[in-house]
Amino acid sequence: MSRRVLVADDAAFMRQMIREIIEPEGFEVVGEATDGLEVVETYQKLHPDLVMLDIVMPKCSGIDALKRILAADRSACIVMCSALGQESLVQEALQAGARGFIVKPFKPDAVVATLRKVVEKRDA
Amino acid sequence: MKLDLAKYRTLFLEEGSEHLAELSRALLELEKDAGSPEAIDAAFRMAHSIKGMAASLGYESIAEVAHRFEDRMARYRAAGRVDSAGVGVLFQGLDGLERMLGCVRETGEAPAAEARLTAALAASDAAAVPEVQPEKKVLRS
Repeated sequence: MSRRVLVADDAAFMRQMIREIIEPEGFEVVGEATDGLEVVETYQKLHPDLVMLDIVMPKCSGIDALKRILAADRSACIVMCSALGQESLVQEALQAGARGFIVKPFKPDAVVATLRKVVEKRDA
Repeated sequence: MKLDLAKYRTLFLEEGSEHLAELSRALLELEKDAGSPEAIDAAFRMAHSIKGMAASLGYESIAEVAHRFEDRMARYRAAGRVDSAGVGVLFQGLDGLERMLGCVRETGEAPAAEARLTAALAASDAAAVPEVQPEKKVLRS
């Protein structure tokens, strides 16, 4: 059974790349969001198995969106997407309840491995 | 797995051009209102996004210039404002990124980063540092 994923990034380039990396590997992108407010609203509608959430987003930062989603659903499974140099924000996200993180530029094998690890840990 | 990089190059040029247009609008706004948090945030995000896309395609020189731009915007965000000299440097950065994307469009390759440009973007200036009031000292005669 494929895992339902919500992808949040303001760049269509990144959303497309994530889709292309994860869909052949047993993940289905069921929704996309382009800003921090949209991802919170879309999560409430879709209740996906996983959220891939960029840290830098318009309207509401990825960290704030993470906190809002978790405030409504403590079981939400969220993986942050960050860039090199954002280590302190990644730490803040992990402390706030993110299950993992991936670093841009994406290495396809590492992205899939991280998502599988997060899902396995949640299902255990 | 291998990604079709030619497809992503086209996406990068399309979305990168849109980002540069938004960056230009943000800088014009900062010329009028150097403390506009929306414009500072937009400029930061556009540079961040261009950096990520360029790095994904292996265009390290574009990623480097965008990274310096992003860092500079992060300093302005902390300071809460940009000064007029700072806006000039940011426009130089915008021009440089436009030239680099133009080169990718024409040749498929990214040119080397201009050392003068990366140095200008990396240089600190008064506006990037929050003003600190000197401690008052009581002089004893």
